[in-house]
Amino acid sequence: MNALRMVFSKPWIWAFIAAGGVFFVTVMFTGGASTIGLGQAALTFASFSVIVGLGQMFVITLGPGNVDLSIPATMTLAATLALKVMESQNGMIFVGLLVALGVGLGVGIANYALIKALRIPPIIATLSSSFIIQSTAIWSNRGLRIRPPQWMADLTTQSLFGVPNVALIALGITLVIFVLLEKSLYGRWVSAIGQNMRAARMAGVPVDGVRFATYVLCAVLASLAGFLLASFSGGAALNMGTEYLLTSIAVVVIGGTAVAGGFANVPGIWGASLFLFLVVSMLNTYGASAGVRMLLTGVIIIGVIIAASRRRVA
Amino acid sequence: MKKAIVLGALALALTSTTAYADTSDKRIALSNNYAGNSWRQAMLTSWETVTGPAVEQGIVAAADAFTTAENQATEQAAQIQNMILQGYDAIVVNAASPTALNGAIKEACDAGITVVSFDGIVTEPCAWRIAVDFQGMGRKEVEFLAEKLPEGGRLLEIRGLAGVSVDDEIHAGIEAAMAENSQFEIVGSVNGDWAQDVAQRAVAGILPSLPEDIVGVVTQGGDGYGAAQAFLAAGRPLPIIIMGNREDELTFWKQQKDESGYETYSVSIAPGVSTLAFWVAQQILDGVEVPKDLVVPLVEVTQDNLEEMLEQTAAGSVTNVEYSLEDAQAVIADAS
Repeated sequence: MNALRMVFSKPWIWAFIAAGGVFFVTVMFTGGASTIGLGQAALTFASFSVIVGLGQMFVITLGPGNVDLSIPATMTLAATLALKVMESQNGMIFVGLLVALGVGLGVGIANYALIKALRIPPIIATLSSSFIIQSTAIWSNRGLRIRPPQWMADLTTQSLFGVPNVALIALGITLVIFVLLEKSLYGRWVSAIGQNMRAARMAGVPVDGVRFATYVLCAVLASLAGFLLASFSGGAALNMGTEYLLTSIAVVVIGGTAVAGGFANVPGIWGASLFLFLVVSMLNTYGASAGVRMLLTGVIIIGVIIAASRRRVA
Repeated sequence: MKKAIVLGALALALTSTTAYADTSDKRIALSNNYAGNSWRQAMLTSWETVTGPAVEQGIVAAADAFTTAENQATEQAAQIQNMILQGYDAIVVNAASPTALNGAIKEACDAGITVVSFDGIVTEPCAWRIAVDFQGMGRKEVEFLAEKLPEGGRLLEIRGLAGVSVDDEIHAGIEAAMAENSQFEIVGSVNGDWAQDVAQRAVAGILPSLPEDIVGVVTQGGDGYGAAQAFLAAGRPLPIIIMGNREDELTFWKQQKDESGYETYSVSIAPGVSTLAFWVAQQILDGVEVPKDLVVPLVEVTQDNLEEMLEQTAAGSVTNVEYSLEDAQAVIADAS
C-alpha cells in the first residue's frame, strides 16, 4: 500500500498512465492485433522527442525565462551539414557525427554568448539565433535531400530483439542524463539555480558555468536528434525540425518537470513522448478530422498536466 | 482638322502601347512569403536562372527576388508597400494568404503597378492569377487508381497541412472523384504536412490499426516516400502510393519498378512556375492582352516517362520545368 502511494506521488506517473490508456484504446480498435506494431512505432518516434526533450528539460529547469527555441533550426542545420559531409558514404559516418555534434556545440556557445554577453533574455536570444541557424542551413544546401549512408539508414530503421535501435540509443542517452541529473554535482547545481539563482550564487554555485554547459548540452542533444532523424527518414529537409519546437516543451511539461524550473524529471519525458505520439495515432485510428484531432489533443494535454500538478500539491 | 490630329495622335499612342511597348526599362520584383522547403528553394533558383539572362539581354531592367522571414501576411503586405515606394513596374507575388494581402495589392494596382500572383494566389480583382488546379490533381490521383485497380479496394489518404486552402482543395478533388468511384473506400486519413518525416510518423502510427488489404495511398506531394518507408518498416506489402515528383520518391519508384515492376503515378506542379509568372508579367508590361485567370500546367510522371523525368530532376530536388517566353504565350493563348 505504501509502495503504491509512493508510485502515485511521482509526477511522472501521470504521463505513463495517459500513454498506457491511449495505447489501450488504440489497440482495442483492432481487438489487440495492432499491439506489437503500434508499440514499435511509438517507441521509434518517441525516441526523437525524448532526445530533444531531455535537453529542453535541463534548460527549463534553470528557472523562469529559460527555454531554447533554436532546437528546430539546430536539428536542421546539424542534419543538413552532416549529410552533406557524409555524401552517403559509410566511411564518413564518424566524420558526419562529429560535424553534427560540432554544430550543436557551436550553437550552444553562440546562444549563451548572446544571453550572457549581450544580456538578451533567452527566449529572444535563442529565437533570433534560430533565424541565423536556419538561414545557414538553407544557404549550405538549398534544401536538397542527400541520402544518409546505408549503414546509418539501417542502424536507425532496424530493431534488436523487436526493440527499435533508435529507442535503444535514446534509452542509453536517458540513462546518462538520469545519472547526470540525480547523482552528479552538475545536476544538483542546475536544480539549485532553478530554485533560486541568487541563493545558488551565494552558496558558491558557478552559475554562469552551469548555465553555459546546459545550453550547450541542449543544443548538442538537438543536433544528435537531427542527425538520427535525418538518417531515419532518408535525408534532411529544411522543415524537419518544425514539429519539435512545441514537442520539446510539451514533453517536458507533461512529463512532470516544473515549468517554473528547479525540479526536473527524466522518466516523465518518456511517458510524455510516447503519449504525444499515441494520442495522434489514436485519433487518426478512430478517424477524427484534423480540427477535432487538434482540439482533443489540446484538451487531453491540459487534463494530464492538471492531474500531474494536483498530485504534486497534495 | 484639329480633331483629326488629336485622333491620329491618340491612335498612334494606342498602337504603340499595345504592340510596340518596350519592356527594357521595366523593373519586376518577386514577393515571396516562404523559402523553408526544397520546393520553394527550387522556385527561387529557377527565378534566378531565367530572369538573370533576361536582364542581361535587356528584356527587362531588373528582376529582383525578395522573401519574407516569417511567412506572415502582415510582413508580406509591408514588403509589397516597400516595392511600391521603390517604383517597380510589376510585382510577381506568391502570397501568404489569398485575402490578407488584398489591401496592399490594391495600393500597388492604384499606383499603376502590374501585379501577378501565382501558386499562392490573391483574390483582389485587379491582380492576375496563375492558379494551380489542385482539385484536378486530387481527381487525377483517384482516376489513375480506378484505371489500375478496376475492382477497387481500401485506400489511405495522406493530407497536407491542416487549415491551409491547398489541403482542402486537393482533398475536395479526391472526395469528388471518390463519389464517382464507389469501388474505393478511404479507411484512414492522416496529416503528413507535405513532409516525408511527418508523413512517415503519421502513417506508422495508424498503420497497425488498418486492415492488411490497403491497395492504394492518395497523397498531396512530398509525402510519398515517407509513406512507403512506413509500409516497409511495418513489413506490409507496398500499395500503389501516388507520388509528388520529389527526387527521392521517383528514385524509390524506379528501384521498385526495376525490382518488382512496381507501378504508380506522380503529379505536382513545377517550382519553375515562378518563371511562368515572370514572363506573364513581362507580357502584360509589353501591352499584351492577358486574361486575369490562367492555369498552371501540371507536371505528370508516368510509368513510361519515369526514367526521362528522373534524369531531369536534380538530386534531392523536385522535377522542375523552367518556362520560356513561348510557354507563357501558349498559356495565355489557351486562356484567351
